[in-house]
Amino acid sequence: MEARRIDSGKIAEVSHGLERTEVERREKVFSVTDLSVAYSGNVALEGVNLDVHKQTVTAFIGPSGCGKSTFIRCFNRMNDLVPSARVSGTVLYHGEDLYARDVDSVEIRRRIGMVFQKPNPFPKSIYDNIAFGPRVLSMEGSLDERVEQALRRAALWDEVKDRLKDGALGLSGGQQQRLCIARALAVEPDVILMDEPASALDPISTTRIEDLMHELKRDYTIIIVTHNMQQAARVADMTAFFSVIVDEDGGGRRGVLVEYDSTTKIFTTPSDKRTEDYVTGRFG
Amino acid sequence: MRVEFQGELDALEAGFQETGEIVLRSIRAVADALRTQDVELCDEVIAFDDEIDDRYHGLEKQIELVLARQTPVAGDLRLVLALLHSGLHVERMGDQCVTIAKLTKLSAHLDTKQTVIESLVDMGERCEEMVRVSLDAFAARDVETARGLHGLDDLVDRANRQVFGEVLGYVHNPEALEWGMRQITVARCFERIGDNAVDIGEQTAFLVTGEFAEFTDASH
Repeated sequence: MEARRIDSGKIAEVSHGLERTEVERREKVFSVTDLSVAYSGNVALEGVNLDVHKQTVTAFIGPSGCGKSTFIRCFNRMNDLVPSARVSGTVLYHGEDLYARDVDSVEIRRRIGMVFQKPNPFPKSIYDNIAFGPRVLSMEGSLDERVEQALRRAALWDEVKDRLKDGALGLSGGQQQRLCIARALAVEPDVILMDEPASALDPISTTRIEDLMHELKRDYTIIIVTHNMQQAARVADMTAFFSVIVDEDGGGRRGVLVEYDSTTKIFTTPSDKRTEDYVTGRFG
Repeated sequence: MRVEFQGELDALEAGFQETGEIVLRSIRAVADALRTQDVELCDEVIAFDDEIDDRYHGLEKQIELVLARQTPVAGDLRLVLALLHSGLHVERMGDQCVTIAKLTKLSAHLDTKQTVIESLVDMGERCEEMVRVSLDAFAARDVETARGLHGLDDLVDRANRQVFGEVLGYVHNPEALEWGMRQITVARCFERIGDNAVDIGEQTAFLVTGEFAEFTDASH
């Protein structure tokens, strides 16, 4: 039998994520400096510094209330939609201040797409769900081609190509989530933010979403919030661990970034005791 | 806090240490059997190895279950891996004791040279000490003591070479040759036990620091 030749470097990248040095060689997509977020004057997240690099998967993990969902919402200015929210510090996106006055938040949300915990397709056909964004943005080219390409990239095309006019709500939960990913891809984003994208899905659908993340990072930068630590370990190149600090009087609870490093480092030899306690399940 | 999981880790480590204690008894027994040329004691050591093997396979099975069910990470993962490796080293030491016991039995009817026997007994005692140190350092997560095993191993290696020289000087007829070659193998078995004790020390360093490195390049 002929021996199979396998590129071991390729295997290492697929199964273990990128090394930190390799990640840091890549272009910075986001550069966050001293970022804090408060809701109605209560600090939810304090003093975060972190860079996100191109074509990598970055995971945010941490216990409930640590500010990880608040943080991911800073990357496409979703917090603007919360009247009481106040964001301080800087978020540079390709070197430009994301929170500068002249920034068009609609354009930002086109380039930085988001997928939520619960699949939220529009109550329309599969086709119209994908076509909605390109239509609204009057994007050029064939709409049919755009829809097909987005569905193919989201690994959903083969399952729905014969029923594009059917209602999206008739799809399974896992298919609906891939539809939402396809919808985000249809407007040609640069970054995809995923806030617990698989927490409402069964294990098989979860595996599909994770496989998809490995595929998508060839073309996109992905940031994911997850409660599932093994999911972070499986999909992310870099992992940021957030924790909660409770004020001495027990009044305030603030989220802080504890440790940010390659996923391999976080799950084998984390530098901070709090990270070790969290990933080994001794706290949180 | 994962109470049940911590209990499982504690049980794994206790199982490893108990197996280590049993192997220490085997090492002591073969050194005694050599000193007294006690064939019955050799048979006991040989029979006793089944117990060591059963315990090792039990440890391996438990580790498989913990890996499958608990997916340990970070320090927990290192502990499980270090226990798996160290358990195998301990099991190998048991096998070396069996070989020593068998060779001692096979040599019992032949003339002996006392200085060689004394050197072998000395090696056995040094090995017992090394295994004791390796088990204690593991339990205490004491990297410095674990590193000290390398120095103790040098003494065992030196004793091994000394036995070789003494046997060469002794061989004067075919029967002495047979005896001498068996004793060289016994010395080699002790030498391997010493290496295995150093290996456990290296696992202790891995457990504590997260970095695996051999204490010394074995090819030198």
